Amino acid sequence: MVEREKRKPADQDPAINAEITTEIERLADELAEVREQLAATSEVLAVIGRSASDLEGVLETVVESARKLCGADVGQVLLVDGDRYRLAYGSGMTSEYREFIANNPVVLDRETLVGRVGLDRRATQITDVLVDPDYGRTDAQRVAGYRTVMGVPMLLDGEVVGVLSLWRTQVDPFSDRAVEVLTTFAAQAALAVRTVDLVRALESRTDELGRKVTQLEALGAVGQAESFSLNLTEVLNTIITQAVQLSGTDGGSIYEFDEDAREFRVETVCGTSPEELEALRRIRIGLDDTFIGKAATLGRPLELMDLRDAPLDPHLSVLAESGWRSLVAVPMLREGRIVGAMVIRRYTPGRIPQEICNLLETFASQSALALINAQLYRQLERQSAALEVASQHKSEFLASMSHELRTPLNAIIGFSEVLLERMFGELNERQDDYLRDIWSSGKHLLELLNDILDLSKIEAGQMVLNRSEFDVRESLEYCLSLVRERAIKQRILLSLEVGPEVGLVNADRLRFRQVVLNLLSNAVKFTPDGGRVDVRASVRDQDLVVTVADTGPGVAAEDRQRIFDSFQQGTRHTEQVEGTGLGLTLSKRILELHGGRIWVESEAGQGSRFGFAMPAGAREPALRSVPQAALDSGLTTEPAPGPGPTVVVVEDDRRSFDLLRVYLETAGARVVGARDGEEGLDTVRRLSPAGVILDILLPGVDGWEVLAQLKADPGTAAIPVIVVSMLDERGRGFALGATEYLVKPVGKEQLLAALYRAAAMPERKHTVVAIDDDPLAIELVRASLEPEGWTVLGAATGQDGLSLIRERKPSAVLLDLLMPGMDGFEVVEALRADPDTKTVPVVILTSKSMTRQDKERLQGRITYVARKTEFDVSGLAGLLRWVSTSRQSPASESG
Amino acid sequence: MTHVILVVEDNERNLKLLRDVLEYTGYDVRAARTAEDGITLAVSEPPDLVLMDLQLPGIDGMEALRRLRESPRTAGIPVVAVTAQAMKQDRERALAAGFDGYVEKPISVRAFLDQVRRFLPGEEAGTE
Repeated sequence: MVEREKRKPADQDPAINAEITTEIERLADELAEVREQLAATSEVLAVIGRSASDLEGVLETVVESARKLCGADVGQVLLVDGDRYRLAYGSGMTSEYREFIANNPVVLDRETLVGRVGLDRRATQITDVLVDPDYGRTDAQRVAGYRTVMGVPMLLDGEVVGVLSLWRTQVDPFSDRAVEVLTTFAAQAALAVRTVDLVRALESRTDELGRKVTQLEALGAVGQAESFSLNLTEVLNTIITQAVQLSGTDGGSIYEFDEDAREFRVETVCGTSPEELEALRRIRIGLDDTFIGKAATLGRPLELMDLRDAPLDPHLSVLAESGWRSLVAVPMLREGRIVGAMVIRRYTPGRIPQEICNLLETFASQSALALINAQLYRQLERQSAALEVASQHKSEFLASMSHELRTPLNAIIGFSEVLLERMFGELNERQDDYLRDIWSSGKHLLELLNDILDLSKIEAGQMVLNRSEFDVRESLEYCLSLVRERAIKQRILLSLEVGPEVGLVNADRLRFRQVVLNLLSNAVKFTPDGGRVDVRASVRDQDLVVTVADTGPGVAAEDRQRIFDSFQQGTRHTEQVEGTGLGLTLSKRILELHGGRIWVESEAGQGSRFGFAMPAGAREPALRSVPQAALDSGLTTEPAPGPGPTVVVVEDDRRSFDLLRVYLETAGARVVGARDGEEGLDTVRRLSPAGVILDILLPGVDGWEVLAQLKADPGTAAIPVIVVSMLDERGRGFALGATEYLVKPVGKEQLLAALYRAAAMPERKHTVVAIDDDPLAIELVRASLEPEGWTVLGAATGQDGLSLIRERKPSAVLLDLLMPGMDGFEVVEALRADPDTKTVPVVILTSKSMTRQDKERLQGRITYVARKTEFDVSGLAGLLRWVSTSRQSPASESG
Repeated sequence: MTHVILVVEDNERNLKLLRDVLEYTGYDVRAARTAEDGITLAVSEPPDLVLMDLQLPGIDGMEALRRLRESPRTAGIPVVAVTAQAMKQDRERALAAGFDGYVEKPISVRAFLDQVRRFLPGEEAGTE
């Protein structure tokens, strides 16, 4: 055990010497024991101070020290756990016993030593369990083989939280000294248990605060400020209260350190009057000139045994005036940074034990964590306030920038438009060319400006999606119509393929179009003359997928990501792919708002395929309300809901059917498909449609047979049938009773005109007949007007135009003047001469410079003269709306 | 009959653009560079239509509209905002304040003329 010090006897009297020697040896032994005990105690405290939440570590130190100091074979700590004791730490015992006691735990009764200690709440020893009549756990004794057992209670606030016990396998009672040692250790173990509980509670609260900060950070919300600061105060309050209680002192306070001001501010107090708190708040507690500042700077606790003897700083003065006599200032540090300080005070002078100081340091570090979270939170609060202000400034800045840029743009675009309109005379080719450059550059700037505004709206979270369910095909067609003009000029072939499974999508319609239009106009812009642009739509895994493929130069690998990120903070690409502007970035953001994504597949020189996907999200998940069987065949057998007349299309080729369906649906018809003759007959008989579109080459019963049967049946004989076939056998068709006979390929206009003639469908209200010998000019008119809801009927000659007007009675006529054969002047005269067509408004759309004679010839007979130089979509549509609603207006001119 | 249009616009170039386009079309154009001048002109000789910029030195377009509506001589004149303010809420605010129309700058000349005509019902547009 203890190594004894050997001393030489001081005297020669052997008896006295022996007595003295014995006494010295005894004292030396005792001293050594005390020293050892002290060392062990401080070791325990050190462990507690070092790792307060490491209960195992503390208990290990306690048990190992106690076992060694008391010369026991086994030492153990058992903690109360409900109605039994749980072995928290054991030293020197077999694993067999551990297992046994885990399965047969010690309970709170008198059968065991531990049970008795718990019930009696005092140190107890059983010299030999085998002779103790009341000892009941002989089962455990047989496993462990102990004979002498001793234990002391671990008390906390008068309650037993556990038992610290030792045993020997020989009958060899423990000394009183050992009981004392064990009692001390038990108190330390209890303290450790308490500290651990407390620290764990604090940690969980701190974690909670930390989580809250993270949460708030993520939410960018500041609304929870109140609950947050309440939580903080509560946490700090708990810490200081526990610290005061555990240290047995009278009061304390926690201060937060303000790095900028280099001063401490009181955060919470315990055992302190409101007046005193008020006084503490009023004074400045500087880092450089106060006692707690010194403790913080040194980075260790500083003690003041009597305030009456100490030099007073402003802080200490306030405390001294309130009657405080002694205190410990504990710095709160985090990663070497001063976060705050904790002060524990007493109304009496004197020392505060070192172990208490150690404990206080643990509390201080917990408080530091809480304070840091609070600081983080306040910082967040300030930042969000600053952000709010910044965002406000940004909005104001954007609005004013937009205004400032629009003002000169108005002059640039407006004046070039005025000149291009020839308002002030003819232009030579180069002037016209330059003015177009000026005009389109102005427009480009305007687009960029609008994109910037949209992007900032998204960045600021202000873009709200206006969702609705709409038809994907219709939107795609609309976008195609907007780029058709340019595509025609560049001889680019545009194609659209929409899978039969694609129907409605739930999205912001305008934003959807914005994205598609952006991809389309980029594709057309970068595709060389004579190339092609293919648009495809399909549904994959509930996602609507749209791709736009072009035959342009492609996108280099290194650009494939960054073309979507031109507005990204911190990235600036000086060699930005020219001309893409911000459209792709904007598209990407818009898709992200929809929960979708955008990508590009490309190989340099091989063209590119841009694609995007977004959740279809429609109630009928991107599908039309058609039976699955019909979907499989690509044909519909039931009418889709819609207001228009029903038209049955008997067609076995899926692509042809799709095309016909598009044409008919955009004209407002409800389309029902049949894929063979038999089904066709059946469907027509069942639905009695307004019209039938009939293919001739069908599997099984062919078109001729269908036509004959329909005409033979009185129930269906009156239904107009329009044959649409590869075969040019008009004679046979008409002989069998076809109302119209069209040879494939059939255009939309041709088909609709046939349907209108057959009276299978009422014509749309706004129809315009465009007469021009240049097919491009008619295409341009179509591109401008169709998106605005107009039906455009084209005629290449004056004669065709006249008959079309007589037949269809359009709401306006767009007329070219210079045409081979019957020219525009003659058309006007013919129209005005016929009472049926006298009132139809005529807009002259011409590139001819009007002479005085020309004007005189037209005077009073036409409604408006516009120049062909520019096609302004809204302009032309507006103009036509205007002329068709004010039919009697005599001529006016623009251009 | 020639319609009289009052343009209130402080930016010289934009004023010139509007005036040239309108005069070319055959309208009689009166110009004012401040709202105050515009109101004085409108009261002394009420035009058929007022085209009003919103951001003006001194009192702004909104206030000018309010004053025009207050005076019995000018209360019935259609007033159209012609402005470079392009935020969605700007348009809504202007229309809520009682502007009869809202034309965003930069203007499209043809659409602009179309819009102007709409506020001159029964107009017989100027011919040569």
